[in-house]
Amino acid sequence: MAPTYKLNYFDVRGRGEPIRFIFHQAGVSFEDNRISKEHWGTIKPTTPFGKLPFLEEDGKVIVQSLAIERYLARKFKLIGKDEWDALQCDAVQAFFEADAAKKEEKKAAVINDQAPFYLSRFDEQVKKNGGYLVNGQLTWADLHFVATLQVTCDMLGKDVVASHANLAAHREKILNLPNIKAWVAKRPTTPF
Amino acid sequence: METQYKLTYFNGRGLAEPIRLLFAYAKVEYEDVRIEKPQWPSMKPTTPFGKLPILEFDGKKVGQSVAICRYLGKKWNLTGKDDWDSLQCDVLVDTLGDLKQQVGQYRMEQDPAIKEEKKQNLIKETIPFYLQKLEQIVKENDDYLVGGQLTWADFQYAASLENFELIFGKEALDQYPHLKALKERVFELPGIKEWVAKRPVTEF
Repeated sequence: MAPTYKLNYFDVRGRGEPIRFIFHQAGVSFEDNRISKEHWGTIKPTTPFGKLPFLEEDGKVIVQSLAIERYLARKFKLIGKDEWDALQCDAVQAFFEADAAKKEEKKAAVINDQAPFYLSRFDEQVKKNGGYLVNGQLTWADLHFVATLQVTCDMLGKDVVASHANLAAHREKILNLPNIKAWVAKRPTTPF
Repeated sequence: METQYKLTYFNGRGLAEPIRLLFAYAKVEYEDVRIEKPQWPSMKPTTPFGKLPILEFDGKKVGQSVAICRYLGKKWNLTGKDDWDSLQCDVLVDTLGDLKQQVGQYRMEQDPAIKEEKKQNLIKETIPFYLQKLEQIVKENDDYLVGGQLTWADFQYAASLENFELIFGKEALDQYPHLKALKERVFELPGIKEWVAKRPVTEF
């Protein structure tokens, strides 16, 4: 019997959205539990390490958004065709994780230096990989990338992707995937 | 034909050491390239995303030390017994990453007053918060992190716990006997023991 899933996160896109994208693209249902700030105080001590998101799979608690995404991607066959592809999916993620913490104080530096530095490389990568991040096929890397970049652009107040033609086309393509398009049209509107 | 591996990093343990520990344990040969700071600016643009370490093999180049460890862990049967164990390796290594990020923020802090405040916060709250929970997990797993057996996650932890003792003192792990036992056991493993005896002694 298929497992039941419940995603627990704040009522924002943030680190939860890539997970939501993966579930929607795979067509797998899940409870999208959004925790309010008031509620978080009581829930926090019950979590493994005091953080969100956490995913419940048949009641077993899993933390760490990237670990969750990778685990689901493997289950739902969104991880490429071999271990090299899987490695490439991983190699794409950490740029955003590393820089997420710096955004508040360093918006200008991100917009003027880091974003162009990384995005021009990703742009090349998408160009060389048939319009996807990894090996000419849709993987969780594409879903993570687009969901997270939307959050990043909202936080920066600037669409840093627009000037990179291949990435802009990539974003269009991912957002036009039928399940993703349907989700984005109906998801709660949040600042990030 | 055997794959030729070349690992490139700065001359330090840093982010590369868990990778070196994996190679040592698996007894797989690799070229351990350590570059000096002056070489870095010209090398940087040749790397996938301007960072080290990178691993090269079969004409391919890849960055991201944790991703590399996961890949090699899979190759050498160090990911536990099933997908759930693999997931736990990821969970615990990324959790360690969260803690390392906090420690990193303290070490990078320039303002001495704020730095001291961050240090106190780390020592009194953040570190005990994490290490007490991790201690419990390791205790429940026979002094391993996952599934009661050696996985690539143990190498990440061993390298970090070694650095932890260097930053906070040799007694820093005394309150966490299972974490300490984990670290000591990894460093006593055949292959690793020999590596540690001969590796360059570096500041970081």
